Amino acid sequence: MTDEMTIAPERARGGVPDPAPAPRRSRRRAAPRSRWQRIGSLEVLVAGMVVLLGGRVWLGRWLHAGWLETWSTVFVAICVQALPFLVLGTLLSAAIAVFVPASFLQRALPKRPALAVPVAGIAGAVLPGCECASVPVAGGLIARGVAPAAALTFLLSAPAINPVVLTATAVAFPGHPEMVLARFAASLATAAVMGWLWAGFGRPEWLRPPVRRDVAAGAARWPAFRAALQHDFLHAGGFLVIGGITAATLNVLVPRQVLGGLGSVPVVSVVVLSVLAVLLAVCSEADAFVAASLSAFPLTARLTFMVLGPMVDVKLVALQAGTFGRLFAWRFSGATFVVGIVVSSLVGWWLL
Amino acid sequence: MKREVQAVLLVLFGATVLRISLFSDDYLRYVRTTQRPYLIAAGAVLVLLGVVSAVVAMGALVRGDTSGGEHPAGHDHRHSGHGGPRIAWLLTLPVLAVFLIAPPALGSYTAGRSDNAAPKPTADSGFPPLAAGDPLAMPLADFDSRAVWDKSHSLKGRRVKLTGFVTPEKGGGWFVTRLYISCCAADAQTYKVEVRGTDAPPANAWVEVTGVWQPNGQAGRDDAVPALTAQRVTRIQQPRDPYE
Repeated sequence: MTDEMTIAPERARGGVPDPAPAPRRSRRRAAPRSRWQRIGSLEVLVAGMVVLLGGRVWLGRWLHAGWLETWSTVFVAICVQALPFLVLGTLLSAAIAVFVPASFLQRALPKRPALAVPVAGIAGAVLPGCECASVPVAGGLIARGVAPAAALTFLLSAPAINPVVLTATAVAFPGHPEMVLARFAASLATAAVMGWLWAGFGRPEWLRPPVRRDVAAGAARWPAFRAALQHDFLHAGGFLVIGGITAATLNVLVPRQVLGGLGSVPVVSVVVLSVLAVLLAVCSEADAFVAASLSAFPLTARLTFMVLGPMVDVKLVALQAGTFGRLFAWRFSGATFVVGIVVSSLVGWWLL
Repeated sequence: MKREVQAVLLVLFGATVLRISLFSDDYLRYVRTTQRPYLIAAGAVLVLLGVVSAVVAMGALVRGDTSGGEHPAGHDHRHSGHGGPRIAWLLTLPVLAVFLIAPPALGSYTAGRSDNAAPKPTADSGFPPLAAGDPLAMPLADFDSRAVWDKSHSLKGRRVKLTGFVTPEKGGGWFVTRLYISCCAADAQTYKVEVRGTDAPPANAWVEVTGVWQPNGQAGRDDAVPALTAQRVTRIQQPRDPYE
């Protein structure tokens, strides 16, 4: 019973990471006392902070290079902007794990995955946040026994079709109300197709097995909640930083001036904006404004940008790799990329 | 990763967020002003979580419970086989960036590398008449929009005052520029106006430029950059919100 409550067990005493990473799934073992343990990670953390803050004086001039300042502004901006959503997402995920009975979720969704997928897709409309919130929530749902196909559909649809994002789209494209409809339809369809694909072809071993967090009846819930929140946040936060580093680097490296000339070629323009959506990793609440500003591109290409942005981007691949495993993140993102382009092109051809 | 370290990381990260959102206006360099309450809430949650976690870890230490209150061996923990997630160390990077580099608002480096994004009018009815005022203070976005898209040339002959920072032009000359962010600095768009008739102040200096629109034959294109003949250029402090 106690084991089931475990959220983030510590390796006994060793704070400093092993020199060679132990294989995943290694059993806990009593770490041998070694010279590494005299200096703990807390000391490393404090000493590192002091040295670096002191170094500010000497590093001063080098730190004010234009590219470095721009890079760090974009990096900090991405982390800061995503943070409230990440906190919201991990709060919800921890709450689902600890306070919502698994039987409730299983009753709420249809038994057959083929039916559960569209229901989960539409349920995405109720989570008002961006993609950073939906990754931990989807992870929490799977850990709670929701069929992965349904949870993954929710993961894709939630950041794209919630009211906040659709309102932003309407504001960004004032002359084109059909754009809101097209975004809603294309995003929901892409999410559902991906859910069905997973139900039909997905293999469980691609998905990292989730941590079971069943709290036994009568056990204290708040400590379990706090431990789940802490573990999830530290974990997802680390991956958010990886995503932020990647996105900031590409943001500074990819000159937007190059893109303008490619907008007039129909097929190329869709592919160019799809790739841009992946590289820029703009938040789903803001991507409509960026899409609106790419006025050299046809509407279908801009629709693809808005459909793919919340579903596949460098920040999201990092977050998904953290929650579901790398094996999953690459396959799933690759497939979503292709499905998203096809569905958006069809919807764009039909509605725009 | 030990529990104490996890606690310190949470407090450090949360406090950094509070430092830029609650205790200063620095957050305006990175995100829009509407996000302040959410940042404060998120920072407070993290600090609270870290403090509670530190208290729990201290309690465990006092009791001599070296496993940090978690449960001992024999547990196949697949999610992160190394206790607290080692990747959480990366959370120190944004903290270091904020305190070491103190990233400023985006400036001429970004503006110099992007095209002008003069906003297209949304309605076909054209532009409303310009407000009264001489000089008329207007946002760079408005000036750009009218200069590039207004077929009735409402700017003609009007003295205007624009506020922005200096971006040098390749091959001489300079622009007065302002960036617009819709969510965070990763999605910044550039508005620029070429300033004629004065020498360029240093790059990134904030200025008020008073002058008259100078039609330069670039109207009607998405990346057109209008021009202004300056009568006066005044150096000013950076505005509280550096973005338009």
